[in-house]
Amino acid sequence: MILFPKEVFSVKTEDLLRVSLDIGEKMLISGAEISRVEDSLRRILAAYKVQRADIFTITSSIVATVTDADGRTITQTRRIQKYNTNLEKLDALNALSREICANAPPLSEIRQALLETEEKNHYPLVAQCLAYALIAGAFSVFFGGTGTDGIAAAGLGVFLKLFTFAVNRTKVNMLFANVAASFSVCTIAFLVTAVLHGLHPDKMIIGNIMLLIPGIAMTNSIRDIISGDSMAGILRFCEALAVAIAIAAGYILASLLTGGLFK
Amino acid sequence: MTYALQILTAFLGSFGFSILFNIRRSKLLIASLGGAFAWSIYLVLGTVLPSETVRYFFAAVFVTVYAEVFARIAKTPTTSFLVSGIIPLVPGSALYNTMKFALNEDWSAFGETAIYTVQLAMAIAAGIMVVSSLIHIVTGGFQHLKAYFKKR
Repeated sequence: MILFPKEVFSVKTEDLLRVSLDIGEKMLISGAEISRVEDSLRRILAAYKVQRADIFTITSSIVATVTDADGRTITQTRRIQKYNTNLEKLDALNALSREICANAPPLSEIRQALLETEEKNHYPLVAQCLAYALIAGAFSVFFGGTGTDGIAAAGLGVFLKLFTFAVNRTKVNMLFANVAASFSVCTIAFLVTAVLHGLHPDKMIIGNIMLLIPGIAMTNSIRDIISGDSMAGILRFCEALAVAIAIAAGYILASLLTGGLFK
Repeated sequence: MTYALQILTAFLGSFGFSILFNIRRSKLLIASLGGAFAWSIYLVLGTVLPSETVRYFFAAVFVTVYAEVFARIAKTPTTSFLVSGIIPLVPGSALYNTMKFALNEDWSAFGETAIYTVQLAMAIAAGIMVVSSLIHIVTGGFQHLKAYFKKR
């Protein structure tokens, strides 16, 4: 075993662990894979010459136990409540963690750099509305819809963005929010096609469902399972499955309701 | 013509998602082109491979290689280019059909399409995993070699 000189270890282990977990937490929230979070934390802690670091990450929590050069053992845990995929922020965090591994800067500098990554905001709401419109329109045509289907789906996409934006403000249960979003989009699609003939509700709905379905989460969960993070993978898979069922429930409710009205 | 339209809409869809995932600057273009690339591969493979699942697998393989290569060039996590590139492969219409069969209480068709949807998801995940595992092995081996020669 290697013994490190005391002066190398001038950072307080509690603080070191806290800052490292800040980075790990932000990475996970921004959309990093489990293995990236664990690997980054392990490397950062190793850069400050801890004796041993054990990190366990699942989708909703990070647990890290560190034994420092003095032989003291400390554990800290983080609970992750909500995800918010922000790849620009993840990019900055990743660069920061590389920087830390290379230079082991004082903790105050890391805190400052972390504050700077917080400024990596999303595109403004208007741009996001346009993105929703673009995605819904593009995929409605992609899956065989006509041009008019695409335009109608794009309009629905803007509605969907505003709807989810409003619902997220109320901090309502995530599954209920998905049922409500799917229900309202499908209902509007069915109602609009009942009035305006020549539109295909299927294609309009598929375009908007692409915005709702957890396709990425589903794929990532299987990746996690194959790469050995089976706990995280199974959790993520169950979450994705629950969301998919919520969307299906919204769709079925909407078509039963409108089917009853128009048949 | 429909193929060109599909590739164009795949590009636009990936572009939209890249904005939602907050990808910026030149990376935005690379990420969006990844989606068009993934779907082009899928379409090209259609001329030689009859199986949908196998085509999805290989499309995922190619788009992962694309993402890994450009992630190294742009010095950014692979996820940035991978998630937006995979988007057109997400089996949205298969999922929709599954829901539709559930609604019509056509349970045998429901089971079939549900399994088919999961199959596609697994093909995509397997494609990603094959490439990222291989790259892991190659880069790991490369670093070992470098460390070995440094020691000498």
